[in-house]
Amino acid sequence: MIGLDSHTTGAEVVATLLRDAGFEVVYLGTNQTPPMIVNAALEEDADVIGISSHASNFTLIEELMREVKEQGLTDVSVVCGGNIPPKQVQKLLALGVAKIFLPGSPGDAIVEYLAGRERRR
Amino acid sequence: MKYTTDYGYEIKPVYGPGDLKGLEYERDLGDPGRFPYTRGYHANGYRGRMWTRRMTAGLGSSRDANKVLKKYREMGQTGGMCVIHDRVSSSCIDADHPRARHENGVLGWPGSSLLEFEELMEDIPLTGQSITVLGCCAPASLRLAYVVALADKRGIDMSEVHGSVTESPFSNPFGQTDLQPFDLDMKLFLDASEYVVQNNIRMRAGVVGQHFQESGGNNAQALAIELSMLKEVCSRLVNERGLTFDEAMRVPYQLVSIGSRFFEEVAKVRALRRMWARMAKEHFGAKSEKSCQLLIAVHTSGRTMTYQQPLNNIARCAIQTLAGAMVGCTAIDNATLDNAYAEPSPLAARMSLNTQHIVAVETGVADVVDPLAGSYFVESLTNEVEAAAYRILEEIDALGGLVAAIETGRIGAMLKNEANIKFRELNLKERLVVGVNHLVIPPEEEMFEIPVQSIEVSGSEAIATRMAEWKKTRDMAPIRASVRRLYADAKKGDRFNLMPAIIEAVKAYATAGEIIGVIRLARGLIYDPFAVIQCPFELN
Repeated sequence: MIGLDSHTTGAEVVATLLRDAGFEVVYLGTNQTPPMIVNAALEEDADVIGISSHASNFTLIEELMREVKEQGLTDVSVVCGGNIPPKQVQKLLALGVAKIFLPGSPGDAIVEYLAGRERRR
Repeated sequence: MKYTTDYGYEIKPVYGPGDLKGLEYERDLGDPGRFPYTRGYHANGYRGRMWTRRMTAGLGSSRDANKVLKKYREMGQTGGMCVIHDRVSSSCIDADHPRARHENGVLGWPGSSLLEFEELMEDIPLTGQSITVLGCCAPASLRLAYVVALADKRGIDMSEVHGSVTESPFSNPFGQTDLQPFDLDMKLFLDASEYVVQNNIRMRAGVVGQHFQESGGNNAQALAIELSMLKEVCSRLVNERGLTFDEAMRVPYQLVSIGSRFFEEVAKVRALRRMWARMAKEHFGAKSEKSCQLLIAVHTSGRTMTYQQPLNNIARCAIQTLAGAMVGCTAIDNATLDNAYAEPSPLAARMSLNTQHIVAVETGVADVVDPLAGSYFVESLTNEVEAAAYRILEEIDALGGLVAAIETGRIGAMLKNEANIKFRELNLKERLVVGVNHLVIPPEEEMFEIPVQSIEVSGSEAIATRMAEWKKTRDMAPIRASVRRLYADAKKGDRFNLMPAIIEAVKAYATAGEIIGVIRLARGLIYDPFAVIQCPFELN
């Protein structure tokens, strides 16, 4: 969860879905800043950063993308989910967000996509 | 397709007299205006007074929100206004806080000072309509102070102002956090409640079941949580603040969420009235009939407003509004067709308010009180949801009440599990949502692009800059004096009421970040919940 948004249900449901599918999920909870998220991704050696967004805080996702680049996390994908208006979707994809899951995305689609994103080690 | 309610009761294909065996009219329903109030509180229903038709406002600066409120008045929102805080002021930090700069005025009103409230209310009357402001517990004490301060400035007697600006501390565990510890929230809530009772102020506190349900809770759970929240706050007002129960019941109102499962929603609210009336009489020994009549406002469900084919939401909103109207509530603020995108655009707001007006004046459903009473199905569902809620309520009581049940993690687990069930049901198409998992169309076939309201970063930054600049222009002597008094009062223990000191500080134009920060310091917490900024005052 990025910024002050506290609509956590979506993030928590997806975290459960992914854990059940065998992924290791580090759920950071609310009130995260872009640097905090990037640091956590570095520490945990994450393959993917997932951001849940509830019709707000898009500028913070843009900041996160800058932070990801600055820290050289080139092999980590950023994936977003939530109520993101079409105009913002285009903007975020242009900034390098790998994939955006809109409301109503089937669980299987999220799992399948992320399974394909795992870094080859 | 599942033929069950969302709390798992199997629905039969047809209901008849056999399903209502044992139902005694006088004991279980009663005429409208008679205990146990299943059928409502007014013999005349809406003929005496139509429900308050309102729309939530709050986006951009306070002046922006003021314009929206004026527009809503033109759209027929005259009975009451409803504004929600942005996440910054909900969190009791100021607009110029480093964590706030990009979030000011996003998803709400940036209400962290009396100045903002004055701008919000410019040329809008404080009387003759109910004043409702929502958004977490800790900033609620300030909201009450804003109203008191502005009434004072305008020379209005507070006894003429009514509405609801305070909020129970249970918003925090159910997804609307204010970053403050629960004991501080509870203290501030009790202070504000005690203050309104002692000063005969007609401002109520929201006990918001909506947050719980919108986070995924089912109807039976929501009922149980709503009742256990009321039980907890009333018990504390009686036991810890020495109010009588009848005095305590001048404080709360319940804000319930109503979704699209029409009959189940109607049953839930009817059951809530009956269950509360019985709890008031049997558990609390209510002396006044008024205390058995829980004030209920409805928020139609934002969660059910889909991102896909947003025009479909007009139909959903109409069905939910109809349920809210037929069940007999005091006020409705309905969701909007663009709810999954942003705060309401003028088009969406007008659609939703008009939906209420159409239900109120065109359909005839407001002509008759509790028109669904006696329906075999509706009475059965009312009994079923009540029984299911009593089972959960007993479990909560056995854990030692709601606060204890939350602390054990039981309630959080219940909510999480339910959210997962809802997601699974959608995935497996056991529940269908048109445009989402049923009759889906490709995005390019969307025939109509809805206007989406948004605030640009520059708008959020401007609110931050204005706050920083304005702070420098304030007369600091009364601010310093008032926060020193507040600090001293806050050290006098939980039982010492902080409302007078908060009102003094608000009148001196101290901000939310400053006021809550100083109270935090007095309680041994750090000034800033994010540990980024320092207290700007000498307090000793």
